[in-house]
Parts: sequence; structure tokens; C-alpha cells
Amino acid sequence: MERKWIGTAALFVLPALLLFITFTYYPFIRSLYYSFTTWDSIRKPVFIGLDNYAFLFEDRKMIAAAMNTFKMALFGLLIQNPLAIWIAVLLNRKFVTGYFLRAAVFFPVIMSLVVLSVVWSQILSYEGTLNLVLNQLGLSGWVRDWLGETNTVFITIILLTQWQGLGYCVIFYLAGLQSIPADLYEASRIDGAGAIQRFLKITVPLLMPTITIVTFLIIVGGLKLFDIPYILTSGGPGTASYTLALAIYNAAFRENNAGYSIAAGVVLMLIIMVITFIQLQITRRREVEM
Amino acid sequence: MVRKRRNPTDIAIEVGLFLFACVLLYPIYFLYVGSFKSPAIFYDPFAFPKELYWGSFAIVFEKVKLLDGFFNTIVIMSFSLVSIVVICSMAGYAIARVKNRWFQAIYYLFLSGMIVPLQTTMVTIFKMGVSIQLIDTRTFMVLLYAAGAIPIATFIYVGFMKSIPKEIEESAFIDGCGPMQSFARIVLPLLLPATGTILITNVTAIYNDFMGPLLYLKSESKMTLMPQIVQFYANKQSMDYGPVFALSALAVLPLILLFIFTQKYMIKGLIVGSLKG
Repeated sequence: MERKWIGTAALFVLPALLLFITFTYYPFIRSLYYSFTTWDSIRKPVFIGLDNYAFLFEDRKMIAAAMNTFKMALFGLLIQNPLAIWIAVLLNRKFVTGYFLRAAVFFPVIMSLVVLSVVWSQILSYEGTLNLVLNQLGLSGWVRDWLGETNTVFITIILLTQWQGLGYCVIFYLAGLQSIPADLYEASRIDGAGAIQRFLKITVPLLMPTITIVTFLIIVGGLKLFDIPYILTSGGPGTASYTLALAIYNAAFRENNAGYSIAAGVVLMLIIMVITFIQLQITRRREVEM
Repeated sequence: MVRKRRNPTDIAIEVGLFLFACVLLYPIYFLYVGSFKSPAIFYDPFAFPKELYWGSFAIVFEKVKLLDGFFNTIVIMSFSLVSIVVICSMAGYAIARVKNRWFQAIYYLFLSGMIVPLQTTMVTIFKMGVSIQLIDTRTFMVLLYAAGAIPIATFIYVGFMKSIPKEIEESAFIDGCGPMQSFARIVLPLLLPATGTILITNVTAIYNDFMGPLLYLKSESKMTLMPQIVQFYANKQSMDYGPVFALSALAVLPLILLFIFTQKYMIKGLIVGSLKG
């Protein structure tokens, strides 16, 4: 039977294969070549070896973008991740308003970043809700143009991503928590373990696979952050809110430096590859343990 | 009805979470209230409109081709979704059932696509679109969305196929069903949960996508909703945000309704769908 239907099977894979080769694989190979050229996407590309890659390390904008991405990853690891676990643990019990609470946390996840940017631009504007609240709380010293000042703009954008990002992570952690058998907690309670001990000795170890995945998603998501800075600040003031994805877009479509932009895109991919590799290593080690 | 007495900590936690939930929902409230505020009170964040002001919506309908936007978004989305489901379920079925080196190689080729970000290939794809004269067409968008979804969707289908026993198809073969027929009549319906996951992930991803249309669409008549909002926002013709809010409020409404009715499935779908890199 197998042999008879191998021809049909080949026909079944063919559309996907053609589409994938045409719109992913082929452009990818071409891109690798272009990344070694100087090219304005109109005239013929000229081979220049590794110059694009070398320039990446001198380009102030690129470095600023990489630094911002790094800050975001750090924030994700140290604040977003623990906070999401905490909220998930709190949410993971029976509440009178449980349905509402969960829906409220998940809801922002489906919102588009475009609309998110539009709404927050007004909440955060100089005469917006946030400053008004600060004034009324007697914290007028804190009032500022949150998206217009060099030293607050990027942290504001990071906090903005949390409106959606937090719920996104909580979804994962709630799913993870619900897969932990309840009798483990029962047993430890009988053995006299306190809440903190139960959290550290049962919840965290069993949640480890989820933590790995979420950490990975946070970092990769941060690498691709584009919509919010594009719409709200164009990376400014100066390069204060530049991100890698924005820098790559601008290099190609604003500065017509396609070869260079692609080289940066290739480096972005390499970073994602390395993170994926590390993550797979960690997950695999965990699987052996369990 | 007997109620268990709740301890004070639980109540405190619930109240705390309730306040947190209100903070999370505030922007949505702000968006919808804002779109009904008259210009006179728009910039007073705490003002609540005493009567519904429809002027912002009137401006939106006058200045933005909103119906075109909806039409384009829905058309691109539907064609993409159908293509993704048809193409990837077929591929996933074949890969899961034929344990041959070539099919496994193709599978790994697909999976490797997960780590290539759009940023690496977008310029080349743009250039390619120009040379095959598909740039600025909705067809191009559909092809790109379909191609982009292949790695994760095939992955989900191949994984799900493992839970479908081979015997079902074998008995169909004996009854004289060809592979095509047994796929369409037996396998595809059984793949429904996987299809649901794939649909939900891609609905939000395609509906909310801004970068794709920004890169590959140009004509106003073909534009989707998200770039329409950004353009309207960037033009700031009257420095008046009321209409921008009204436009945004209208644009997100379909997804909000979808979320309300399919919350459970959506959340499950988002988890599985985001496992890609």
C-alpha cells in the first residue's frame, strides 16, 4: 500500500514545498548573498565581502538598537517573568469574579500593537491620564513627556509592551500550573510545608519547562519589536528608542542600504538561532531529569 | 445554598486582582469612551460624554476608506486561512504517514523556517515581488501569509496526526477509498482540533499585522485596516485624536467580539501557536 500511495503523498506535499521554497528558502539564500554586497535594491549589487558585517559594530544606531534590545531582554528576565508567574499563581484559584479576572488579563493579547500605540500615546501624552493622575496624587515632580524624553522613552515603551506581554506570559504559566497534580500540594501540606516552601519546591521545578519557553518567547519577541517604536517615536528622540527590527527596516527602506539591512537581518537570525539552541539544550536536560 | 467561608487573604487577593484587571481594561474603556467624546472634552481624560457624540465616526467615514479596509483585511485573511489549512493539512498528513527519508528531509526543511525572521528576507521578498509583478497585490499578501505559516502549521498537523490511528484509513482503503477521498472524508474532519488552533493563531496574526502590508502594499484601495489606522494617525490632519480613536475602535471590534465568543479556544490556540520561534 505504501508504495502505491507514495506518488499521491508527494502530490500532497508539493504545494507546501513549492510555496515554502519560493517565499522562504529562495529569498533566504538570496539574502545571504546580498548581505555580502553593497546594494541600493535598484542597481546591481556589488560584492564587498564582510564590510556590511564589520560596519554593524561601528554603527551607532545599530549599537543603540542592540543595547535597547538587551535592556528589554533583561527586563523580561528579571521583572516580567517573575511577575507573570506571581500573577498566574494568584489567578490559579477559585474566585467569585474568576471569569472576569482571567478575561481581563488575557484580553489585551488579541489587541493589535497599532491600536495599543494609538491609545497609549494619548494616555501618556503631556496632558494625558497618567500625568493628570500623578498631579492629583501630589507627585507633580514625576510629570513629564514620557515618550518625548531620552531617559524615559524606552523604559516607557518596555512598560507598554507589558500591557500585552504580561497577559501573554500568564496564559502560559496558568496552563503550566494546571498541569501540576493537586495531590502533590496535598501531600506536602500534610508534611507541613509552608506556602513559600511549596512554591519553591513544587511549583518552580515543575514549571521549569514553561519558564524556559516563556523566557525564549520574551527574548525573541523583544528582538522583533517594531510596531510600537515605529508608530510612537520612530526610534527617537535621537536613538533612544531604536530597536533592531526598526533599524533594519530603516536601513532598507529609508536609507536605501539594502545590503547592509540584510546583513543586520542575518545577524538577527543568528542571535535567534543561538537562543533557540541554548533553549533546546536546557529543555532537553530537563527532560532527562524528569 | 451553603457557602464556604472565605479567608481574608483570599478576599484581599481577589480585590487586588480586580483592581489590576481594571487597570488592564482601562485603555479599552479609554478607547471606546474617547471615540464618543466631542472635541471639546476629548483632551480631558476623565471627562465622560453626557451624550454620544457621533462626529468622530462621521469624519472617519468621510476621510478613510474604512469599508475597503475591512474588505481587504477580510479577503486577505480568509484566502490566507483557507490556503494555510488546505496546503498544510495535506503536507502534514503525507509527512506523518510516509516514513521515508525524503519526506523527513522536507519536514526538517519546513521546521528550519521557524528561525528565519521576516527581517532577514523582507527586502529580498520585496524585490522579488517587484520582479514577478505581484508587489502591491492582495494575492502576494495571501501567498506570503500562507508560506509564512507553513512551518508551524505543518508542525501542528504532523504532531496531531500521531493521535489518529492508521487503521482508520486502512479500512477506508479496503472499502475502495482512494487516498484523496480518505483524506478529505476521514482525515481532514479528524484534524479539526488542530485546524482550530491554526485558524485562531493566524486570525489574530493576520488581522493585526502591520508590517506585512506596510512592506508589500501601496495602493490605498488595497490597504488593510492596521496601516490605515497608522496612516490616519500619522497625518493628524486636525490634531484631533477623536477620529483616530473612532477608527481604532471600529477596527478592533470584530476581534473583540470573536474573543468574547471563543475565549477558551483562542487562548488554547495562542499557546500552541506561539511555540514557534
